Amino acid sequence: MPGRDPQRGAERIRKAIALVNSVADEAGDEEITPTEIAEAIRDCLELSDVDAVPNVRRYLGEALDAVSDGMPADFVAMTLYAALGALREGT
Amino acid sequence: MRSAQGRGRTLDEAVDAALIELQESRRNVDVKILSETSEETLVEVAVIDQSAPAIGAAPAAPNGKAEIARSLVEGLLKHMGVRAQVSVRTGADPITLDISGRDLGGLIGWRGETLRALQSVTNVMVGKHLAEGERIIVDVERYRQRREHTVREIAMRAARQVKMTGDAITLDAMQPFERRAIHLALEGDPDVTSSSIGEEPERRVVVGPRKPADESAVR
Repeated sequence: MPGRDPQRGAERIRKAIALVNSVADEAGDEEITPTEIAEAIRDCLELSDVDAVPNVRRYLGEALDAVSDGMPADFVAMTLYAALGALREGT
Repeated sequence: MRSAQGRGRTLDEAVDAALIELQESRRNVDVKILSETSEETLVEVAVIDQSAPAIGAAPAAPNGKAEIARSLVEGLLKHMGVRAQVSVRTGADPITLDISGRDLGGLIGWRGETLRALQSVTNVMVGKHLAEGERIIVDVERYRQRREHTVREIAMRAARQVKMTGDAITLDAMQPFERRAIHLALEGDPDVTSSSIGEEPERRVVVGPRKPADESAVR
């Protein structure tokens, strides 16, 4: 597929994971809102790799739902790790 | 906790002197600078967490939540085909699970990514047994503890340099738990302050001189 860049996809998912982990680990040096996390996940959903690799969109969608539903940070992180794993397996 | 004081012309010399007395390697100790002049540095070196069980040692006394978490992680690792021992670190708050065994590098992953994922899964699995805000920390071969120790040393060195030069220093990008360890290490220092800049995952800690106005500033 033209324009595919799995590396960029992985980077965006990692960025979203890092944001969620900041909340979970309480780094204490920033205030991260659910909106910022949702934005980072939406950035991932914009990439073409999301549709090229099975399950990546599904996991990202679940992560976005989890943020909207106020689920714990670890749950969101786990779902994003699943997306990252699926992306790795599919590329 | 075993500890010893060391003196030397430089921080390294002082730490080495204490390490010789303790007969320990640098990765197993925590360093606290007691005094520092241009001619001599005095440090206190303490061996990290001597109470933690060694590999193969008897597990800690059963604690409901910790035991549930230990058992779940053990089962998870079994399903993953990883042969490892899981023990509860004694005296640790929050509850910390130590995973030990052979060739567990894959369980740590790139920059600790797999370990962090394992911790997330563990917290989701054990979540219903935990109080609000309570978390389980998972460590593999003391990787996390060693990283925290390393970044604390980096923080101390940066603080010394800032005091000498008066210029702020920007450290490498770090994970949240590492940045937190740096902030905690420097929060009691009256001469330096720490803050973070940048966006994840490239967020970095800046160590700078504390100005009078910083006294009331919120990090």
